Amino acid sequence: MDDDSASRRRTRRRFLGTGASLGIAALAGCTDAFDSGEETTESPDGDGGTSAQIGSGRSPFSDRENVGGTPMSEMPPMSGELTVYSGRGEPLVGTLIDYIEELYPDLTIRPRYDSAANLVNQIITEGQNSPADAFYSVNAGSLGALKDEGRTEALPDEVLSMVPEAFRDPDGTWIGTSGRARAIPYNTDEWSESDIPTDISAFPDQEQFRDDVGWAPTYSSFQAFVTAMRVLQGDEATREWLQGMLDLGVKEYSDEFLVAQAVADGEISVGFGNHYYTLRVQAGRDDPPIDLAFTENDAGAMFNVAGAAVLDTAGDADLAANFVRHLLSSEAQDYFARETFEYPLVPDVDPIGSLPSIDELNPPEELDLTQLSDLEGTIELMREVGVL
Amino acid sequence: MATASTPDADAGSQDRDELPLAPTVASAAVAAAVLLPVLWLIRTGFDVSPTSAAELLSRPETLRVFLNSAAMVAAVTGASILIGVPLAYLTVRTDLPFARFWTVVIALPLVIPSYVGAFAFVSAFGPNGALQRILAPVGVESLPTIYGLPGAVLVLTLYTYPYVYITTRAALKSFDTTLVEAARTLEHSRWEAFKRITWPQVRPAVAAGSLLVALYALADFGTPAIMRFDAFTRVIFVEFNSFGDGRQMAILLSLQLVAVTLVILTLESRIRGAEVQAGAGRSTDVVELGLLRWPALLAPALLAGVSLVVPLGILLGWLAAGGSTVGQSLALEPEYVVNSVGVSAAAALATILAGLPIAYLAARHDHPLASAFERVSYVGYAVPGVVLGLALVFLGTSYATPIYQTLYLLVFAYVVRFLPQAVGSMRTSFLRVNPALPEAARTLGRTSIGAFRHVTLPLVAPGLFGGAALVFLTTMKELEVTLMLRPSGFKTLVLHIWTAYESGYFGDAAAPALILLGVSGLSMLVILSQEGYNVK
Repeated sequence: MDDDSASRRRTRRRFLGTGASLGIAALAGCTDAFDSGEETTESPDGDGGTSAQIGSGRSPFSDRENVGGTPMSEMPPMSGELTVYSGRGEPLVGTLIDYIEELYPDLTIRPRYDSAANLVNQIITEGQNSPADAFYSVNAGSLGALKDEGRTEALPDEVLSMVPEAFRDPDGTWIGTSGRARAIPYNTDEWSESDIPTDISAFPDQEQFRDDVGWAPTYSSFQAFVTAMRVLQGDEATREWLQGMLDLGVKEYSDEFLVAQAVADGEISVGFGNHYYTLRVQAGRDDPPIDLAFTENDAGAMFNVAGAAVLDTAGDADLAANFVRHLLSSEAQDYFARETFEYPLVPDVDPIGSLPSIDELNPPEELDLTQLSDLEGTIELMREVGVL
Repeated sequence: MATASTPDADAGSQDRDELPLAPTVASAAVAAAVLLPVLWLIRTGFDVSPTSAAELLSRPETLRVFLNSAAMVAAVTGASILIGVPLAYLTVRTDLPFARFWTVVIALPLVIPSYVGAFAFVSAFGPNGALQRILAPVGVESLPTIYGLPGAVLVLTLYTYPYVYITTRAALKSFDTTLVEAARTLEHSRWEAFKRITWPQVRPAVAAGSLLVALYALADFGTPAIMRFDAFTRVIFVEFNSFGDGRQMAILLSLQLVAVTLVILTLESRIRGAEVQAGAGRSTDVVELGLLRWPALLAPALLAGVSLVVPLGILLGWLAAGGSTVGQSLALEPEYVVNSVGVSAAAALATILAGLPIAYLAARHDHPLASAFERVSYVGYAVPGVVLGLALVFLGTSYATPIYQTLYLLVFAYVVRFLPQAVGSMRTSFLRVNPALPEAARTLGRTSIGAFRHVTLPLVAPGLFGGAALVFLTTMKELEVTLMLRPSGFKTLVLHIWTAYESGYFGDAAAPALILLGVSGLSMLVILSQEGYNVK
């Protein structure tokens, strides 16, 4: 009896084991079907400095050929090992990093992806034993926070000069690589552009937006916007604005991509968000009823940047600085424009599609982006009013 | 012959005076290792200036969200028990058709990350969701809102009831049904027999499972955020993501969660009640459902339908709508599967090994030290993942730099996080074993270790495998600690899903989620099939 059940158990085990491994192998094989590999078009030219295109080379808005700026072939070569902590997601940065790695045979880049806040906390907690060499972040606030903790090193002047002063740290410890404008996505079935106020302070008074407007208060970009309002208009005015919006029946979402989608869905007709979310909705759907409006000269038109910094724990600071330089190459800047619809910060590279150029935008001039690292005060305020 | 031992009869094994040396030392080592991260948290949390801390904690808003969390946790725990216990009974004790299949399916929701589940529910049942679109032609203007407390409770319950299910199931499997037969011969109905015999013996397992549910619900970030419910974790999340003092504040708030955990633990030890030990663990009696046999399938089918089919359906919908628009970086690789399964299996094994001495001591010996070790094992579980991750980052870079950002520290982190899942399951199984049996083996010449291996271990196998299954499944979907402690470039299925989700490319989350489900299901099948020890 025992022999019987034991041998039955063995056969059963073997069967299950084989079945399981076959199943897993089959599944793994099937994943090839999900491979949406896009090839990089052209390899960089050795002479003449023409730049290549990274990624699909196709954008939903327009194709374009060579762009201005400094191509990677004119930059110092990179070799060695580099650890990059990236607060920007892998789908975006991964392609770019792979491209740079393939360009230089002696280079190995080890990226680490996580949210910017997590990475800042991690870098600070790791202290001087941190393996990170460079930090690439999605917003200036986190870069400012690292600078405040004394963890960043100044970049060489020739890197800093690639980008206008407004888009980098005055002390040179970080530099912006691409920009995003605060904007007002609105539903084109309900409103036209002239219906949207150009003064952010006017929004709480717009009765026509009652119960029809949305925001994402836990989202870092929104909090940066509120911080900007505090810097420009003071705490009291900001408090009133937040209270006014709450009284208007504003709806809350957990991030701004959802706000843009809700506007396109008609769930709300107006919202607050970074400009590129609207473009992503436009790219992802067939002619959705959504477009962008901009306010002028106030926090609502704030222009924030994604940027990079070299950390004080960098093994090879020159290599890390060179990596940052490559993020400002014409290939990389063009890539940001085409893939995530952001604003290139190198002056000679244009934004994509029908986006207004940086000159046409009206961001508030007195705003210093490093001041956006005072998130604590903003959180306090938002809590007081009851937004958070 | 099996008899229910009364506490008097085995007073000899309820040793108040003497704890066996080896298990005690091992337990102490494990408990100390688990406490280390928490000690760092305490130190850092108290770095916050007392005034700002007091100010934050005494705010009415803080109290409100705290009460919100309490209500949510209570509701989720109650609902999980109501779902998990009957289903465990159904699949273990009755002649339900395809019981093995349903066992796996019922436990499967555990592998779905809470934010995926929550997001799927919002996409399905929210305003402008899939259901709304389907019903619109029929004239249904708007559905009752999915947001808020009901939605959060629903989603959390659906993805945590398997904790109660798995632990109750393990207890029922090693339950001695001759007792029930005896009760039936004494003219008890099935229900009375359940109430008087089965329930008191199964209660510790149910309590262990509900404890896991309660603590998980308490510390979960994703679900309350997406369901727009103001839970306590939302406050922690906001603090954590603001710079400057925010980190310390988040840690201080997490310590508050730990304090609440201790309260819940005390509650649970009351509810646990007198722990009666049982006989030889015979499980031959099967309840015949008769006419209800096939209709009884409705219960697990409905549950599986709601908890599994909804997210799968939504994900497949996104996939069909043409999700893959990004470049190579979001392509799925077989190595993700291997990584996920490998590290989860390692975590399950390590946790079982670490938890074994603790569970053994806690079950066998009624000694304050033994129960202290057991309580300590829960501390890591109550701390939100991001915060625990940070603690281990510190410990790793300061004291253990060679293993920082390696798999060793990662598996250790999983052990710290998920130890109570294994301990709870194993402890209730140890309770089922009549100590007379290993003692008999000793009198027949075995060493104590030999008696343990040959007699006790096979009897507690269901608890061991139940605990392993729990840890395996929970590790498969664990995100926060993995993000912080993984070796750079180490990719798992869950990280892939998170990346796609974070970047808004939901279609790309579909394939890995499906694979996650498939692989977890298969692995569950393999694990549960090893449970089937038949003790004659």
